[in-house]
Amino acid sequence: MTDARADQYACTESLLNITPDAAVVSNLGVASYVLASVSDPERARNFYQWGSMGVTTAVGLGLALSTDEPVTVLDGDGSLLMSLGVLSTVARYDPDNLTIVVWANDVYGTTGGQSLQASHTDFAGIAENSGLDAITVRETDAFADAYRGATESASVTVIVCHVDPVDPDARPTFDFPYIARRARDSLTTDT
Amino acid sequence: MTWSEDAAEALADAGVELVAYLPDSKMDVLIGEVVEDDRFETVLVSREEEAIGVLVGAWVGGNTGALLCQSSGLANTFNAIGSLSVPARVPFLGVVTRRGNLGEFNIAQVPTGYNMDKLLDDVGVRNTVVTDPENVRETITLAGETAFSTQSPYVVLLEQTVTGRKPEAADD
Repeated sequence: MTDARADQYACTESLLNITPDAAVVSNLGVASYVLASVSDPERARNFYQWGSMGVTTAVGLGLALSTDEPVTVLDGDGSLLMSLGVLSTVARYDPDNLTIVVWANDVYGTTGGQSLQASHTDFAGIAENSGLDAITVRETDAFADAYRGATESASVTVIVCHVDPVDPDARPTFDFPYIARRARDSLTTDT
Repeated sequence: MTWSEDAAEALADAGVELVAYLPDSKMDVLIGEVVEDDRFETVLVSREEEAIGVLVGAWVGGNTGALLCQSSGLANTFNAIGSLSVPARVPFLGVVTRRGNLGEFNIAQVPTGYNMDKLLDDVGVRNTVVTDPENVRETITLAGETAFSTQSPYVVLLEQTVTGRKPEAADD
């Protein structure tokens, strides 16, 4: 197995280019900070999480069941590890507009980069055995191909993307009610 | 009508569209009615904090949601409620079978069940306790209306005097 790792910034830019209208639910910490680094600050459909570790994919499921727009979850390996049962729940309902990306950096990035100590764990294998399509990628180009395929699929696909740990300076707005309201208005107001 | 039929009508009256739930023996009859009722979309979760995420996502997508579970399961949701529903001002209506009080035989249900009203107060979630089945429909309807109009969660705790008590531990 190669130990190549994709660039989380380039992959995040890539997914925004492929699905410019997608609602993006981003995990607290690094996933949200990278999203804030590369996307327009006014992008209303970024639903940044400021807390609730382990609940990000569940938020994406509820959103996908409640809108016809594409929904992309940007979860983290540490957060998913504490809530693996959600994969079975997602497979039960399998909304055709949902794609789940798991940034696998092997660390708890927001709390100082402590190791997950979970290199023996195959997240794509867990997703498959929970009833979902899943793919593991380690390069930015491969991520873009996998993401394009996932968004065109009628089934939920989990993309486990191995990335180097990063420590962005960018932050989403701290106004949490505004983040939720802005996303809701964008998804529910006819344009 | 039975308490569970009253509760299902109240959920509809309050405008609830999506119901996230985890089974409970006392809640089973209400869950059955809601799952069979075309007015509701239902989501069975594997852990109650998942339900909080589902309900927040549903709200951002334009839906209004409710959580059906037992008080011990509600204790599983506290970080999600405290770090997402409350600070992001995303409402949901909780209808929760409350263990740990009158009629309780299982000491393991007492610490979070008996104290759930105080725990909810401490995390900033308004709540009320229903002890008389006659009050189920009005209470749940009003709870949903204030949750969605104030954009903040509200939880209705149903005592065993409403839902019926478990006769003995062997039936648990």
